[in-house]
Amino acid sequence: MTDKILEKEQQLVQLLEQTFKNCTGKVVRERRVSVSVEKELIPSVLSYAKSQLGYIHLSHMSCVDWIEKNKFEIIYILWSPADKVQLFVKTMVNRENAEIDNIDMIWKQANTYEREIREMYGIQFNGLVGAQEFILEDWEDMPPMRRDFDTIEFVDDNFTFRKGREDAGNVREEIIKRSGEEIPDFAKKYSRD
Amino acid sequence: MINDKNSRKIADIIQDFSRKHSLFMLAYGTGCGAIEIPPTTTSRYDAERFGIRGMATPRQADVLLITGYLATKTLKRVIRAYEQMQDPKYVIGFGSCTINGGMYWDSYNTVKILSDYIPVDVYINGCMPRPEAVITGFIELQNLIKEGKANGAEQYKENLEWYRENQRKVIKNWKMPDYNW
Repeated sequence: MTDKILEKEQQLVQLLEQTFKNCTGKVVRERRVSVSVEKELIPSVLSYAKSQLGYIHLSHMSCVDWIEKNKFEIIYILWSPADKVQLFVKTMVNRENAEIDNIDMIWKQANTYEREIREMYGIQFNGLVGAQEFILEDWEDMPPMRRDFDTIEFVDDNFTFRKGREDAGNVREEIIKRSGEEIPDFAKKYSRD
Repeated sequence: MINDKNSRKIADIIQDFSRKHSLFMLAYGTGCGAIEIPPTTTSRYDAERFGIRGMATPRQADVLLITGYLATKTLKRVIRAYEQMQDPKYVIGFGSCTINGGMYWDSYNTVKILSDYIPVDVYINGCMPRPEAVITGFIELQNLIKEGKANGAEQYKENLEWYRENQRKVIKNWKMPDYNW
């Protein structure tokens, strides 16, 4: 029963794996397919999906910072209104001297998403035309969405808080005392102390 | 008693009575709290019975509402708008972001204490304050005007160097005109 429902998605994965080399795909659930390729093949995969397979809408483009693997991951989210299936195309880019090709000519809205990623993560897009400043004004530090940018240190250096509210301190500890549960380690970093 | 400078003369009392009953606020929503302004001024929680209505330009307005968080990019524009307003002028800070940073206390881009950069008369707490709380804030401002204590504008003129020093620390590219009162 489930095989019949996921037929379209599995056909899509097989087609993409046969057409491009080093391409691994996976059916996440009904109506969602995820495919990983290398960064040199991105313009060909995207224009193939747009012209031959019917994925004519670019919904979003985003970026994840994998600091443990020393790479950035760029994700393109495509949608096909005819088949009603969402396609995620993912690539990995090196963290030092990060660069990738610009796909402005395939979809015009990619210009805005690429300018935001360039400002917030520092990835260079070859051939991208657009003003350097987009959201931040007169920003001289490192790109702020990277995981090695310490916001709390930056705030302590540049801004001050009101005196007399130090007792407002750590809300999480108060909640733990009352309910008796443990906070995990990754959340401890964000307390005010 | 008549020659004492600190006593409230009859002219002051009449002047403050007429000022407090017609506060025109500048139609400029600086942050997320601007979504509470339309309910306050429309017919359910009517603010116009207190004499409060919106006005188009800084030169014609009395009250500047800083509704919520203030990014450093907006701060530059708000300072220009505030300096173009004519006396008497008042500033009201909405929400907990103007008091001590609020929800964005650890953000690299917002300003934490508002009264270091612009003189504030009344704070209204909440995230966002309900229309009843907004009207209570305006009534608080009216009481301050009646007692003669709403002196934000004069404080700004006297301590201009201190305010400018704080502003320049946060705004790097200072291309602002020099106002000469």
